Amino acid sequence: MSEFHISPQEERENPDPYEGTGPVPWPMLALVALVFGFCIVYITRSDIETPSDWGDGRDSSELSGAKESGKVDGAALFASLCVACHQANGQGLPGVFPPLAGSEWVLGKDSTAAAILLHGMTGELIVKGATYNGVMPAFGSQLGDEQIAALLSYVRSQWGNSSSAVSVETVARAREAHKDRTAPFAGEKELPARD
Amino acid sequence: MASGAGGANVAATCIQPENALSTVAILLSAFVLSVTALLVFIWSQRSSMFDKSAKAAEVIFAPGEIGTREDPAAGTALGLGNAELVDRARADASTAPLVFFFFCCAFAWLLVASAAGLTASIRLHEPDWLAHQPWLTFGRIRTIHLNAVAYGWAPMAGLGIALFVIPRLLKTPLVGAPFAFLGAALWNAALIAGLGAIAVGLSDGLEWLEIPWQIDILFVIGGALVGVPLVLTLVHRRVEHLYVSVWYMGCALFWFPVLFLVANVPGLHRGVQQAAMNWWFGHNVLGLFYTPLALASVYYFLPKIIGRPVQSYNLSLLGFWGLAFFYGQVGGHHLIGGPVPGWLISLSIVQSMMMIIPVLAFTVNQHQTLKGHLDALRTSPTLRFIGFGGLMYTASSIQGSFEALRIVNAVAHFTHFTVAHAHLGLYGFVTMVFFGAIYFIVPRVSGREWPSPGLIAAHFWFAAIGITIYFVSLTIGGWLQGEAMLDGSRPFMDSVTLTAPYLKWRSVGGALMAVGHVIFVVHFVMLLVGRSAGRVQPALLRNF
Repeated sequence: MSEFHISPQEERENPDPYEGTGPVPWPMLALVALVFGFCIVYITRSDIETPSDWGDGRDSSELSGAKESGKVDGAALFASLCVACHQANGQGLPGVFPPLAGSEWVLGKDSTAAAILLHGMTGELIVKGATYNGVMPAFGSQLGDEQIAALLSYVRSQWGNSSSAVSVETVARAREAHKDRTAPFAGEKELPARD
Repeated sequence: MASGAGGANVAATCIQPENALSTVAILLSAFVLSVTALLVFIWSQRSSMFDKSAKAAEVIFAPGEIGTREDPAAGTALGLGNAELVDRARADASTAPLVFFFFCCAFAWLLVASAAGLTASIRLHEPDWLAHQPWLTFGRIRTIHLNAVAYGWAPMAGLGIALFVIPRLLKTPLVGAPFAFLGAALWNAALIAGLGAIAVGLSDGLEWLEIPWQIDILFVIGGALVGVPLVLTLVHRRVEHLYVSVWYMGCALFWFPVLFLVANVPGLHRGVQQAAMNWWFGHNVLGLFYTPLALASVYYFLPKIIGRPVQSYNLSLLGFWGLAFFYGQVGGHHLIGGPVPGWLISLSIVQSMMMIIPVLAFTVNQHQTLKGHLDALRTSPTLRFIGFGGLMYTASSIQGSFEALRIVNAVAHFTHFTVAHAHLGLYGFVTMVFFGAIYFIVPRVSGREWPSPGLIAAHFWFAAIGITIYFVSLTIGGWLQGEAMLDGSRPFMDSVTLTAPYLKWRSVGGALMAVGHVIFVVHFVMLLVGRSAGRVQPALLRNF
């Protein structure tokens, strides 16, 4: 530890700093009083009298609000599952994700549209004259017939689309018709007819 | 809207017990009592200081009168026989290889973090760029950026500075340096493993705590080993009075392990508790680790370079204890609007506002010290960076206090506004101060001068202009984004698309900062290969 060398850099330095005992300026003290006062007023006025049994006493039916006669909301399903690719305006992304607005597959035969949702598809698909080569995930195991029907009905009535609503029975029949399928439809050639 | 109406229904049907104590009354009394106790405590510290002040000053202050600024024209201020000079050289000799190692690691992580941050920034407005590499997707590269700064650049630079400064201030050579070498090696190994884990998609899933807990064990061991020599040196110290920088650095080294250990124990916190713990850690790691290390650096280097004492021990006390007491409770303001007890949120908001006190105490103290010596900001590289950093500390802290208020938070939360604020603090303040300190320390540990004042000035201006563009563009864009999200008549996508031009400006600012860092590191390499060629005069800035 005794081995050291005083370098020119160390030599030219000022002494190490220390502290003077200057007083706290009075505006600083005034500021302390001001902020302290503000915080007291803030706590007094803050709306925190929440009953302490909240969060434990309520069950999920209370927290989710009034149920609307058990009807499935197709718009909410679209917003959570489809919007990332097909976009909120139903236009998709050119060259990557096909549009739903004005799409012949959406507006065509309802059982075919249901089959695509149930099993998904990969490979080439022509929509409104443009060829797409992407992946559509399968929702058959994630969504029930009622949800798929609501979702399709929503998609078929938005952005200028005006096809008929899709019934739960149609989806159930489509599920039955393709029940042996384990892989997504491989391109347009495997899909059922759209009209 | 629907949930609001539902809440009102529940409230109407819920009758409070008659004798329940009011939450407001409990919170208010606890707050008033604790702040009053704090002020009394600071007062008592101040009173006892007066008893010892003369003696303490003797211990600290060398017989050589206050010198002039670090300037070649001034020549040698102190003679060889000076006891302080010998202590200084002994302290430096004991830390030089260690500090050098920490700084080399810091430089490497600075470059990694800059590259990752810039990539993440560009991805936000060019989403298709490099889209086929999973580890370059935004979710991972942003996280790599954050962790490379949080556990790479900032602690390596900050701890390196602390290891250099503490033995000097204690007038004691560092005891047990090999522990810190081993600790730093483990720490860096852990960080490499942690960033690798994040890159392949493994994560604990909490912001600031993404690195898997199995790897965190290495951080805990490494961090503890780095702390050992600092504790040993404190025990063996040869001064009675501890200078304010030692308070901050010592406490940062105590606070961080507590934070990191509690936050990373798996399965300890769940649900709402986990969210509250997450922001307790996320905010405290800024305020109780990086901030004190940087404040300690300002407290040491600013008076050191201009050759004047820090003006008020009283303000130092107010600033230190205010930070120590208020800061630990402010993290809850990240959860405004979340399912967290209202008193916890309100407490965090008022403590955020109370932070104005220590921040301004620090600011006034430094301003008084610097008064009349502003021209040193032009010539001294260290002081220029540290002066800029000190100003940004005040700016970002005051901004942060007001950002915690519900009325501001309602707009700023979940927007780029918060990102701008975070960078003003961790870059504008902490990183700039660390740059300044490194410019001072490297010639002491290497015995070589910085080769080029021009490169130092270039580094400063790239960094300063870069962070300014970054902060201004994201602050405006973030605020507009928040207002768009609150406007029910506009689709959500509006709030996303309107940020595009501001995000591009952010990338411009980030690119400038990254260029500054490359200049900095190249300059360091030039110093290592001997480009300053035996010159012993400091690299001072002139006319830049």
